[in-house]
Amino acid sequence: MSLEEPRPPTESDVGVTAEGDLDYDELADLLGDHVVDREQHVNAEGFVIRPDEVEAVLSTLRDEAGFDHCSCVTAQEYQDRYESIYHLKKYDDPTQELSVVVPTPRDNPVSQSGAGVFDTAEWHEREAYDLVGVEYEDHPDLRRILLPETWQGHPLSLDYNQDQPQIVPLREHANPMEKRTKVPDDPDTMFVNIGPHHPATHGVLHVKTTLDGEQIADIDPDIGYLHRCEEQMCQQGTYRHQIMPYPDRWDYISAGLLNEWAYARAAEDLADIDVPEYAQVIRTMSAEFSRIAAHLLAVATFALDIYGDFTAIFMYGIRDREVIQNILEDLTGQRLMFNYFRLGGVAWDLPEPREEFFEQIRDFLDEWPERLEEYHNLLTSNELFQLRVVDTGVLPPEEAKSYGATGPVARGSGIDYDLRRDDPYGYYDELEWDVITDDGCDNFSRAVVRLKEMEQSARIIEQCVDLLEDWPEDEREIQSNVPRTLRPDPDKEIYRAVEGAKGELGIYIRSDGTDKPARFKIRSPCFCNLQTLPVMAEGEYVPDMIAALGSLDIVLGEVDR
Amino acid sequence: MTLPEAIAGVLPIGGVAGEIVAAVIGAAIIGTIMLTNTAVAGPWAKRKITAAFTDRIAVNRVGPFGLLIIVADAVRLLSKELIVPEGVDRPAWDLAPMVLASSALLGFAVIPMGSIFGVNMQLADPETGLAFVFAIASVASLGLVMAGYASNNKYSFLGGLRAVAQNLAYEIPLVLTGLSVVIFAGTLQTSEIVAAQSETLVSLGGLAIPSWFAFVNPFAFVLFVLANLAEVGRNPFDIPEAPTEIVAGYQTEYSSVYFVLIYLGEFVHIFLGGAIIATIFLGGPAGPVLPGFIWFLIKIWAVFLFTQWARSAVPRVRIDQLIEIGWKGMLVLAFANLVLTAVIVGVIA
Repeated sequence: MSLEEPRPPTESDVGVTAEGDLDYDELADLLGDHVVDREQHVNAEGFVIRPDEVEAVLSTLRDEAGFDHCSCVTAQEYQDRYESIYHLKKYDDPTQELSVVVPTPRDNPVSQSGAGVFDTAEWHEREAYDLVGVEYEDHPDLRRILLPETWQGHPLSLDYNQDQPQIVPLREHANPMEKRTKVPDDPDTMFVNIGPHHPATHGVLHVKTTLDGEQIADIDPDIGYLHRCEEQMCQQGTYRHQIMPYPDRWDYISAGLLNEWAYARAAEDLADIDVPEYAQVIRTMSAEFSRIAAHLLAVATFALDIYGDFTAIFMYGIRDREVIQNILEDLTGQRLMFNYFRLGGVAWDLPEPREEFFEQIRDFLDEWPERLEEYHNLLTSNELFQLRVVDTGVLPPEEAKSYGATGPVARGSGIDYDLRRDDPYGYYDELEWDVITDDGCDNFSRAVVRLKEMEQSARIIEQCVDLLEDWPEDEREIQSNVPRTLRPDPDKEIYRAVEGAKGELGIYIRSDGTDKPARFKIRSPCFCNLQTLPVMAEGEYVPDMIAALGSLDIVLGEVDR
Repeated sequence: MTLPEAIAGVLPIGGVAGEIVAAVIGAAIIGTIMLTNTAVAGPWAKRKITAAFTDRIAVNRVGPFGLLIIVADAVRLLSKELIVPEGVDRPAWDLAPMVLASSALLGFAVIPMGSIFGVNMQLADPETGLAFVFAIASVASLGLVMAGYASNNKYSFLGGLRAVAQNLAYEIPLVLTGLSVVIFAGTLQTSEIVAAQSETLVSLGGLAIPSWFAFVNPFAFVLFVLANLAEVGRNPFDIPEAPTEIVAGYQTEYSSVYFVLIYLGEFVHIFLGGAIIATIFLGGPAGPVLPGFIWFLIKIWAVFLFTQWARSAVPRVRIDQLIEIGWKGMLVLAFANLVLTAVIVGVIA
């Protein structure tokens, strides 16, 4: 992927009108006979194609129509068929979306793999195979990803028996190392399991590492240790109330409100629910607090990886995050699992007395530039730190795009992509702020991007506070009218994303007329970002691999869901 | 008069037996003093210092200022199960912690610690004192290799390899810089080196600046302090342990008493590093008003504080960068310093 030329600008893309909108008819013409049928999804049109033409369609769309971002692959089972949906977008304009729908028969669910076109599809298809049971032909490495290799059946398929005990006979895996690991022929290399219990993996991540001396010859991240069936749990909850607490538990490092917004946005667009402006401002403000808290912890733990476990920076990060948590606690009543957003608004208004609450925020904002300066002094201005992280863990932009990297990881590779600006929601497009990018592509740029983004978030918060302070008392509407039991029309499909702390957090929902989703799929930014680790780490030293992992800022709760 | 000689003088036993008993008593006194320092440093002072750097309070519940945490921790650590992993290479695996702890303690035998209550706190004063200290401090490397190789653990193995590479890269500049002091003082005997620093260098408005080698040759002092950080394995050179990379390096498989011994060895080693710095650069136990022994303690604690400061504030460099700094930077500078010192001393004297 890395060898291809940078694609031409959007104007020359096929299927874009002069106004910059997508012309689906022209796209269908481009694909010609490949398109068997066309579906209407809420966010985009879906082109139905034959299962043996996936690679041809995806590469045409990428090379000629400019769809360079394979955001997500959703697999699901219907009564009569399996279906894989490739949600395509453009990094230049994520509002230009297209879904490629690949139905496969129930008795032979085999579809061509898209991993040859988009590297990111490799893990997405492995997950689809693992949970739903669709098989992908020509996939480079089709095996289970979240569940253990010995698992019987596919939990999200319709005929899966949940009461069936999972017997994992150890004799089948008598020598697990021999079976699971490509033991290299080269006798000079050494295999090391980094994780699942290791001080630097930020959770239960298992990195199968082959070392050549101190250098990484080959690594293979092994995930799934924290898989909690979040998608299935959401499918068993009602739209109105029972799903909202779950998003807090995906990226649980303070980013709860950003995750809640992902679900709120998808469900509100699915069921046509309006959100009052006042609630949008509160959402924007509180979400940015979440972002600062999440980035603080990202930078602090990154310092932990570089400096060692007695660094002052980590405790400074925790100290400042504490201030934010106090503010969010006053607002939401909770410090970690906020559950504050509701469909159509937020749970309650700002705490009384409002002046005191605003003063608390102002105090934080007043001190914030000084605090950031301190982090820059300790981190980015430190020459030893630069010695360690500049030009290590390099992720070239083409690779980043092919792996579907988003958030600070993509912006650290110079990709100007931020859904808050490019696909506006909430109150962001009314406010003054900048998208931060850095062309360094290395561990250093990712840290710098996070530090600068915290500055921008503070700008957003300040403007929100100004707005909220002057909001007329009789217009403080926090919640629109939403039916007590929400039943979206049957067979509506939507894929919507927000800019989470780690990147594009997307949710696909298919409704079937009941009060629970028929399919609930989470596009986790950490899941996609983690796939880039081999690109960054192979050939580097062990400490640089650890640094790259730290700079990716993964939260295993979100990777494994 | 050294400490054993002083003790032998008051003992009722005479002759060789008296000397032996006196030597054992003297060693026990010095050993106990250093171990007490370590006990204060490990469970208590280190926590308090790190907490001060990171805006926290740390231990404050057990006893006054949390001091009884030393007792609590000792009981806790000693009562833990000693886990012996399968496939470790005994007895090398058992010997490593002892080598680590004892080698560091042995070094104090020739350090002049000044006098208190009229007693000179120095165990022995051989003519080759400084060479002995450097030699004995290097034995710790052997312990690291034994621990890393015998543990039958890949992280330990990596840690052991790193330890060897690091010690090779830093011991030579360390010794060479120490050698420049020897050229100045014209002796390897530690007490003589201290004596050579007692003259006044310059007088600034009635304040006499002593001719400590740190003032005479600040360049060598900085070089030595940096190399010492690598020698004792603290940031930015804590690479053999590097908890976020290779779990705990050579000490990964040690628990309970062995873990305590390794930790003890590390802390005593830091103090020994401080003692060497104090002896050859900071005038040994010299200082105004307070007894010399107190000054000596203050100086080694200052070095300890410095290592903890580095730990809180400085990133860890990568192993290849460390080797590069060691062989291409420090070694060259150390040789330059040595040659320059030799020329200056040769011209002046």
